[in-house]
Amino acid sequence: MHEESHPAGVHPEPSGFIAKYIFSTDHKVIAKQFLWAGLIFLAVGGSLAMMIRWQWAFPGRPVPLFGMFLARSGGVITPATYQSIFTMHGLIMIFFAITPVMIGCFGNFTIPLLIGAQDMAFPKLNMLSFWTFVISLVLIVASFFVQLGTAGAGWTTYAPLSTGIGTPGAGQTLVVAAIFVTGAATIMGGINYVTTVIRLRAPGMTYMRMPLTVWGLWLTAILNVLFVPVLGAAALLLILDRSFGTQFFIAGAAGVKGGGDPILFQHLFWIFGHPEVYILILPAWGFISDIIPFFARKPAYWYRGSVFAMVLVTILSAVVYGHHMFLTGMNPLLGKGFMTLTLIISVPAEILFLNWLHTLWKGSNRFPSPMLFALGTVFVFGLGGLTGLYLGTIATDLYLHDTMWVVGHFHLTMAAAAFLGSFSAIYFWFPKMFGRQMNEGLAKLHFWTSVVFITLVFCGQLVAGYAGQQRRLFIPYQYTFLQHLLPLNRWTSYFAFALGISQFVFVYNFFRGVFAGEKAEQNPWQVGTLEWTLCSSPPPHYNYATAPVVVRGPHEFANPEVKKVLGRDWIGQAEELPKFSAAAVKSAARGAKD
Amino acid sequence: MKGIAGMGGSPRWTGCAIGFLLSTAAGAAVQPESGLGLPRDVSQNGHLVDWLMNITSVFNLILFTIMCVWMAWACLKHNRQHPAEYDHGNSKHSVTIALAISAFIFAVVDGNLFVNSINDLDREYWNFEKVAANPRTVRLEINAHQWAWDARYAGPDGKFNTEDDIVTWNEIKIPVGVPIYVELTSTDVIHSFYLPNFRTKMDAVPGQVNRFWFQAKEGGDFDIGCAQHCGTHHYKMKALLSVVSPEEFSTWQANASATAKRAFDPEDKVAHWGWDWKEF
Repeated sequence: MHEESHPAGVHPEPSGFIAKYIFSTDHKVIAKQFLWAGLIFLAVGGSLAMMIRWQWAFPGRPVPLFGMFLARSGGVITPATYQSIFTMHGLIMIFFAITPVMIGCFGNFTIPLLIGAQDMAFPKLNMLSFWTFVISLVLIVASFFVQLGTAGAGWTTYAPLSTGIGTPGAGQTLVVAAIFVTGAATIMGGINYVTTVIRLRAPGMTYMRMPLTVWGLWLTAILNVLFVPVLGAAALLLILDRSFGTQFFIAGAAGVKGGGDPILFQHLFWIFGHPEVYILILPAWGFISDIIPFFARKPAYWYRGSVFAMVLVTILSAVVYGHHMFLTGMNPLLGKGFMTLTLIISVPAEILFLNWLHTLWKGSNRFPSPMLFALGTVFVFGLGGLTGLYLGTIATDLYLHDTMWVVGHFHLTMAAAAFLGSFSAIYFWFPKMFGRQMNEGLAKLHFWTSVVFITLVFCGQLVAGYAGQQRRLFIPYQYTFLQHLLPLNRWTSYFAFALGISQFVFVYNFFRGVFAGEKAEQNPWQVGTLEWTLCSSPPPHYNYATAPVVVRGPHEFANPEVKKVLGRDWIGQAEELPKFSAAAVKSAARGAKD
Repeated sequence: MKGIAGMGGSPRWTGCAIGFLLSTAAGAAVQPESGLGLPRDVSQNGHLVDWLMNITSVFNLILFTIMCVWMAWACLKHNRQHPAEYDHGNSKHSVTIALAISAFIFAVVDGNLFVNSINDLDREYWNFEKVAANPRTVRLEINAHQWAWDARYAGPDGKFNTEDDIVTWNEIKIPVGVPIYVELTSTDVIHSFYLPNFRTKMDAVPGQVNRFWFQAKEGGDFDIGCAQHCGTHHYKMKALLSVVSPEEFSTWQANASATAKRAFDPEDKVAHWGWDWKEF
């Protein structure tokens, strides 16, 4: 980065440590803050997953390493600890690991850079969003240290189990409060992203020239702004039920004959909860929809189709949530309606898949780590999507509902695909973010171990579910019909441990990259989006001294005219074809625009 | 009931083998399953679910194989040495192909699921008219609570919550070949009544009465499970479903009802948790 005077109309970069690194309003710094917080909590959530897997493989045996946190039971997981472990695994992974990494970090980092903006629309709100998020982290951590332990009602927090009847103690209340607070942080971030994309696109950056990453994150932000408030309402009502004696969700309980409705909570939860599933996958779809053409060295196949598919998914995601509730005694007509809508959502997903596959076809594919992770995402999301068909259909859901099949299915989509998609983004933007490089050999090792073991773990869960094993059983083998599944579950656990251990490759590579990696070039991947073509690595405080003028779409590869004039297979989004006939420029621009 | 095999790393195969011998010898214990497939189907209509799952698996296997071969082929053949084609895939021809493939997959895979699921629900799983009209149907009220299943049979008067009701705890006896029409609720948190060998389950929700039905096609003992996380001992909320011949069931029912009548205590309000059979 060179010391030049900052452009007019832009605040100078703060020089004090606190303003620069702690209470920063710079979207790139906030992105890194979210990244660190998210990765730390990814490790926490992952450790909890390892404990669940230990319990299913070796019930009753003291847990190695993590046993020290269970001193009172001699290192053994008890039923009460177990329910806290799986509850917090789910909540931490969703709200405090995937959300901050994908949306907090990459939403912040990529949106302004990729659309040619100098920062977010509301930089102070952005800062507030992160520090509100930190408050929710404090609440989560505190919940582990109160009497009766942290939350135990499952990540879905179904009432009345999540009310005082089922889960007394301050831990559950703190966790519900944390969900409310993190929801507030998400809404602040969402408003910012939505506004930034609408208002701060560089001249010429039309909607149909935006990288698909921005499309994915923007639609995610819209879903967040619309549906997280519903979750907030549910959390608030639940806190009232827990601490202030109301009975919104309590009914018929022997002790308290409440007049509320437990199913109301599920409606509120899933009106948010199903869009949330797409909130966690849309960014990943965006990342890989850009990264696949980048490394296929070929324009993204039917760009408008991908945009259309993502928009359709965003709309449909709001009207399919009832498939989580087929067995709650829902009106049959309503059930069939939700089933129909759920099946329809497979159409846009098919279009996306076809576009990815067509982009690879007749490409000049190369396989650096971001591409490998993108292809891995397609692979696991394929498995996850196909296994969802059985759950969206009522007849088959009668059997598979609340079994490990569900667990395997949603882990393949929102865990495996989100996980691999996030790593695709981390490896891809790391040089731009930190100005340094990670070791490519280690990155590939991380990919192969991750993709193999993550597939085995979640397919193991699918097999257990097909055999009928319910979710969330402390000791599944209490049931005679599940006794023969111990070897299967044990093998799945071995694969999970291998997956966990292989993440240390990433941890080492990441730290080495941040502090001692080789200096990164400005455009190591040779792609044409604004952040790589016009910004140094890392970008200066203000990103762009002057607003770039965008003339084409983000995936202009293998254009014969460009090859002839520039001698390379790519051209920048804001790069005019020099000294050549206007017709050629026009044809290239038209190609990108369509 | 036999002990838990495989707990705490005990030699599980021995446990299973002993369990199997015991159950075949006594003929009155749940038999373990084997292999990684579906549990035995002993229901009159579970094969519909099994068929729908299996046909979908066949479709899925085809789709997933095509996807993997496509990806592998493109990665291996259209690699760095292969010149990339300059194609935005937005010609009318390309778009038509993409839409046609999507529509075809949707029509075949989702269409099959949709049509069969609707048929299965209308004709079987949600066809309560058929069950209600059958004079042999056995009606049951189930009350779930942490962490057990209470079941109530109407007794000879055919009315629920009267003095001749049979009430059982964690053990449900039913006759083979007869529809069992269940209404269920919960007194504390949400539970889910799960019959793996019958391919069905239904949530028990406090404050509301839900219904489902099932029918056994063969006798034996089977696990009843809870499928909805309901607190620390969710995993222990297991009950026994005992499918017996109609004759054995009648004899048991007559005896149990007579006993219940003798033991009836009008003051014990808590024991009268039943409700008038709800018409939906």
